Amino acid sequence: MGFSQVAVLASAQTELRPAWNDAQHIDLISSVVTNVFKGTGLSLDDVDFVIDSGSDVLDGRSISNCGFLGALGAHHKEEARVEEDGLWAALYGVNKIRSGASKVGLIVAYSKPSESAIDLYWSAMVEPFYQRPVGFGQKAALGMQAQRYLAAYGITDSDLADLVARRWAAAAANGGVAMGDAPDAAAVLGAGEAAHPLTNLMLSRPVDGAVAVLLGAEDVARRSGRAPVFITGMGTSMETHAFAERSANTLDSVAAAAKMALGKAGWDKAGAADVAEISGPSAVGELLVLEGLGLADAGKGLNAAMGDGINRSGGALPADPVIATGLVRLAEAAKQLAAPVRGGATGPEKAIVHGTGGLAMQTNCVFTLEV
Amino acid sequence: MYYAPETTPIDLPTFHSQIKLPYTLTPGRAAGIFLVEIANGRIVGSRFKDGSVIAPAQDFSPKDGEEPEALVEAPDTGELTGFTRVDGAVIGLIRLDGCANAFTHRILGELADLKVGQRVKAEWDGAAGQSILAIKGFVVAADAPVGTVKELGELPEPLGVVNYAFALDYEHAYGPYYGRMFDEIKQNGVFMGVRGSNADEALLPPREIDDITHKRTGTWKACADTGTIRACSIINIEVYGQTRQVPYVYAEVVLDGASTKMIHVIEIDDLEHAKKNIKPGTRVRAVWTKGERQGRVSDIERFEVIDG
Repeated sequence: MGFSQVAVLASAQTELRPAWNDAQHIDLISSVVTNVFKGTGLSLDDVDFVIDSGSDVLDGRSISNCGFLGALGAHHKEEARVEEDGLWAALYGVNKIRSGASKVGLIVAYSKPSESAIDLYWSAMVEPFYQRPVGFGQKAALGMQAQRYLAAYGITDSDLADLVARRWAAAAANGGVAMGDAPDAAAVLGAGEAAHPLTNLMLSRPVDGAVAVLLGAEDVARRSGRAPVFITGMGTSMETHAFAERSANTLDSVAAAAKMALGKAGWDKAGAADVAEISGPSAVGELLVLEGLGLADAGKGLNAAMGDGINRSGGALPADPVIATGLVRLAEAAKQLAAPVRGGATGPEKAIVHGTGGLAMQTNCVFTLEV
Repeated sequence: MYYAPETTPIDLPTFHSQIKLPYTLTPGRAAGIFLVEIANGRIVGSRFKDGSVIAPAQDFSPKDGEEPEALVEAPDTGELTGFTRVDGAVIGLIRLDGCANAFTHRILGELADLKVGQRVKAEWDGAAGQSILAIKGFVVAADAPVGTVKELGELPEPLGVVNYAFALDYEHAYGPYYGRMFDEIKQNGVFMGVRGSNADEALLPPREIDDITHKRTGTWKACADTGTIRACSIINIEVYGQTRQVPYVYAEVVLDGASTKMIHVIEIDDLEHAKKNIKPGTRVRAVWTKGERQGRVSDIERFEVIDG
C-alpha cells in the first residue's frame, strides 16, 4: 500500500488583533477548534491526534499546552506540542497521517504576544555571554540583515515602504486583521526607526490570534465538505545559530527547504506555483524568502514581491501572530486554492507556503499545495 | 468566544505577573577563558585545523562543529561588516583582523559616519571585569594598524559559573469567564463556576468550553466555600518559589457544588496530627484573608479542617 496523500480539509482563525485583552489563550483556542469542523462533515470525535504550536516563553507558563488541552479538544487524545511555528506542527501531522498511523489530525497554533514583552522573547533566544549583554536581538539582527541587503543591491527604504503598504492594503482587503486605515508608503517611512534602516512598519506587527487546520488522509478528504487541497511536498532547513556566520544577503536554508519540498512535489521550480504565502519578519526578510525559494534572482526579490500571486492575504508584515504565522499562511493558501471560481474562469491550482522561526529567520519550512 | 471573530475589542484590565528565574550559567572552556582574559584586555579566539580563526572563542565551529586546535589571542582592531541602530544604540558586526567571522558588539559613534569596510578598534573599559562589556564598544579608527592573531601562551582556568537572572513580565488577559469569577470573589466573596455541558456540578475556574466534552458549558453557579479534600501532600521541604513556611499541606479541594479540584493549602502545627487527620475525604472550609478582598485566589488565606 502506498503512502496516503494528505489534504488540508478546513481551517479556522480568530481575528488577528494587536491585543485580545478580553480573551484568554483558551478562549481563542476553543473558538477555532469549535469552528474548524463547520462544513466538513467531521467532528472532534473523528480527530485521531492534536498537535499544537505555542511558546511557553510567550505564554508565561511552562508546558503551557497542558493547561490548554481541554480547549484544544485534546482530552484523552494523542496530543503533542511543537515549540516552533505552526507550519512545523502541520509537517508533523502530515507525516503521522502519511505513515498510515492516523486519518485525521487537528493542528492548532496560537499566540498572545500582547501579554508579554516580545523583545524579551527574542532576547531569550540569543547567547547570554557574547550576544545578550551588547543588546543583540531580533531587531538588531533584522536591521543588520536589511542594512547589508539594501547596500548590496541598491534598494532604497522607499522601495521597502511600497512593499509594506501593498501588504497592509492586501490584509485590509482580505479581512480578518484588525487595523485602522492601512498605512500608505509615506506612513511606513514615517513610522519611526525600529532598527535602521527599517522603520517600525517595516518589521512585522506582532498580533494575538489562533488558527486551526484540519488535516485528513485522501479517502477522508474525498468525502469531506469541499474539494481537497493536497499537501504534495514539504521541506525544512536551519541556519547556524551564529548570525554573523550565515551567508550575507541570502537565506541558504530557505533554498534547501524549497529544494526538498519541490523535489517531493515533482515541480521543477517554485515558479510553478500560482500563489505564494510567505512569512517575513521584515520587509527585507520577505525579499530574502522569495529569492531563497527561487521566485526571484538574488537582489531582485522586490519585483517578485510586488507580483499578484504573492501574499494575497497580506502576509506577516501587517499581522504576525508569532509562532502561529506559518500555519496562518497554510490556511490562507489553502483557502485561495479551494475558493470556488465562476464558470469558465480558472483559479489558482498550486501554492507554495513558507514559515519561519528563530532569530532573523534561522529556521525555515516550505510546503507545496495542489488541487 | 464561539463568537470571538464578531465581537468588538474591549479594553479590559489585565493581570500582572512576573517570572524571574535565577541561573548559574556555565560558559564552558572557550567562553570561560574568553571571559577571564577579556578582563585582562585580551580577546580570545579559536583557531581551527585549517588555520582559520574565529572570535569570540567557541568550543566548536558554528559552521561544522569541529573542535578548535588552539585558543589564540585576536587583535582588537578590525573592519565593520554590517550595522544597525536599535533604540538609539548602534550595533555592528566587526571582523577582527586575522579572523574569519564577525563579532557582534556595540559601535560607539554616529550612524551617519559608518560604512561597511570601515576600520574600527575596541575601546576598553577596565572596570567592567569578566564580561563582554570589558570592551565598551568599537570606535571608527581609519588608520588603525592591521593587527595579527597571536599565540595565547599559558591558558588560565576558565570561569566556572556566571550568576545570572532573567525576568519576564506578563499582562495576562482574564477573559470573560475568569473576569466574572474574580469580580464575584472581590465583590461578593463567592466562588462562581459554570455548570459542565451535561452536569449540575460546576467547573471551577469557569470556561466557555467543557474540557471533557468540548461542548458549551452551562449556566453560572455559586459554589460553597466548604469542600472535600480529594488529594493532598504534606510539604516539609523548602523549595525555590515557596510562599509559605513549611510544614504545610498542599491540598486539592473540591468545593461543594463544583466538580473540579481547586489547589490550596492547609496550615498545620503538628506533622503526626496532620498525617492522621488530613487525607482524601476530609472536610475543609475556607479561611478568608482579613481586610478588603482583592479578587484573587489568595483572598482565601488557607483552608482548615472542619472538626467532627
